[in-house]
Amino acid sequence: MNKRKVTLAVATAGVLTGAAGLSLLAMPAGAGQPPSLPDVSAESLVEQVMTAKPGAFGGTVEVDNKLGLPSIAEIPQLADGKHSARIWTDGNGKLRLALPNGQSEQTIVDDGKTTWSWNSKDNEVTKSEHKDSPEPKESTGEKAIDPATAAKEIVTKTKEFSDITVDGTARVANRAAYELVLTPKPTEKTLIREVRIAVDSELKMPLRVAVLTNGASEPAGTVGFTQINVGPQDAKLFEFTPPANAKVTTPEAKEAQAREQLPEAGLEAALQGKDPQIFGTGWDSVIGARIPADAMTQVPTEAQGLVDRFTKKVSGSWGSGKLFTTKVATILIADDGRVVAGAVPEQVLFDTIGQVK
Amino acid sequence: MITRQFGSEVRWMLRRPRTIIGLFGLVLVPIIISFGIWTAGDGGGGPGLAAILQGNGMVVPIFTLFLSLNLLLPLVASIWAADGLAGEAQHGTLRGLLVAPVSRVRLLFVKLFGLTAMSLFAVTLMAVVGIIAGTAFLGTNGMMTLSGTTLSTGQGLLRIALFVVLVTFQMVSIGAVALAVSSTTEHPLVVQAATMTTIIVFQVLGQFSSLDWLHPFLITTGFPGLIDVMRDPIPLGQIWDSTLLAGCYLLIGTGLAAMRLITKDS
Repeated sequence: MNKRKVTLAVATAGVLTGAAGLSLLAMPAGAGQPPSLPDVSAESLVEQVMTAKPGAFGGTVEVDNKLGLPSIAEIPQLADGKHSARIWTDGNGKLRLALPNGQSEQTIVDDGKTTWSWNSKDNEVTKSEHKDSPEPKESTGEKAIDPATAAKEIVTKTKEFSDITVDGTARVANRAAYELVLTPKPTEKTLIREVRIAVDSELKMPLRVAVLTNGASEPAGTVGFTQINVGPQDAKLFEFTPPANAKVTTPEAKEAQAREQLPEAGLEAALQGKDPQIFGTGWDSVIGARIPADAMTQVPTEAQGLVDRFTKKVSGSWGSGKLFTTKVATILIADDGRVVAGAVPEQVLFDTIGQVK
Repeated sequence: MITRQFGSEVRWMLRRPRTIIGLFGLVLVPIIISFGIWTAGDGGGGPGLAAILQGNGMVVPIFTLFLSLNLLLPLVASIWAADGLAGEAQHGTLRGLLVAPVSRVRLLFVKLFGLTAMSLFAVTLMAVVGIIAGTAFLGTNGMMTLSGTTLSTGQGLLRIALFVVLVTFQMVSIGAVALAVSSTTEHPLVVQAATMTTIIVFQVLGQFSSLDWLHPFLITTGFPGLIDVMRDPIPLGQIWDSTLLAGCYLLIGTGLAAMRLITKDS
């Protein structure tokens, strides 16, 4: 029967469409054809970025983290993987951030006078009023350095240690962008191969930053918009009324509470005691500090366990200690309390740690 | 003609005792949840949506449906799909329907309609009971979202309605695949077992990060994203993806069931 065959064909087509749809959904979104844009020099692009006025926009930012950090149950956001956040701004200092974390969400709203931070997990609002009254725009404008000069200074400084180039174009969040690339000079002993910044061709706003490390073709970390709509945003987004039954606290109260509760607070206080020292310049500069000996012994055992789990024991002419490595940075904690860290291979840290006072 | 068939199909489903018992069981879920959160008092709360339930009764229907979508609603959908074709085959009534001068595709659409109507009815019933029980036990003051904003009652009801539609669609898609299984067997239990095993295995597979290439193909991957209904403003990305994913299953299930029914000897 002919009709039967037609129906059978339609049904088969339905199954195939469904299967094709599934594979289509599973495919990562393609980058699309890079747009063709007029040529621009790296210097003028940086200058345009610095002088660009921040505008109103709303969008979704995705962080793709492949840093190789250990997954710690307490801080799931740090683990490798993709995390997204939503952001809205009116371009005049008002801001709303929505940070989903599994099924809960943290919302931060800055309405110009007060910053509200809400967490659905504990139904708590932290309210912090801005300390100083907003100054009139003109006075701050006078004090600020001319952005164009600042841009030139930054370019000159960066150029000492790296090459700045515009490497083609890209399409980010459906907007045309220039790819600004910072490459450390070959003399720099760093883990980082290059930093790629996609700059919106129209707004001159960075849309995506990717960090590439030596010996890897995929970026170790990417932060970028997946979706953005430019233009005035709903004013209601920049208002926040604490929910009726939520607990409202101030950051001061919360900090005091946290100090009592968290074991990490002791370590944090110890680290804050000393001014960090910087060694070297450019990409391979290393930051160093010394944790007072008494603070080292105060580290709670659970934190100590955490440290031991993710570090490697190392020793050398400088002494012995623990080494923590990720794709973009290395941290060396000596047993006597000296700490050095940088975006450098471990050998640089071994060479530097002797200089820590 | 077809509306009459639709009507009689739904009436036929409602006449089965197990349908009534199933609906009764579903309705108990929001009541138990509201009661549990109410007894837990201020110390209650928990991860995700559960944390904002206290004093926020309008969220109970969303919470209930979100929980039930993982196991309970697929089970109910599979029962209805199993009764629709396999059950009729077992009783010998399917033969009569297949030889009747009614197109077999139309028969399938009648079954699919019955499934959809009953799913929508069951989900709506759970939502309505959830609103009542949630408001009674936990009180309400508009609807507080996960983003900390408070929606008016009207807006809250709209969110619940949207969630009811989304959950029903997921349920129907699972039911359509169950109908495809149902068309191949005379044993309704086989259909239920196959559907539930698949749903559970999918959820287990979803836990392994080493299988993340497989996750976009599993219908269960789309379930957690539906919670975005409770964020404000609603991010449509995940909701849209989940619905498209379910749509693909709906197409595949309906297509396979149609192929089987057309080629089946009466």
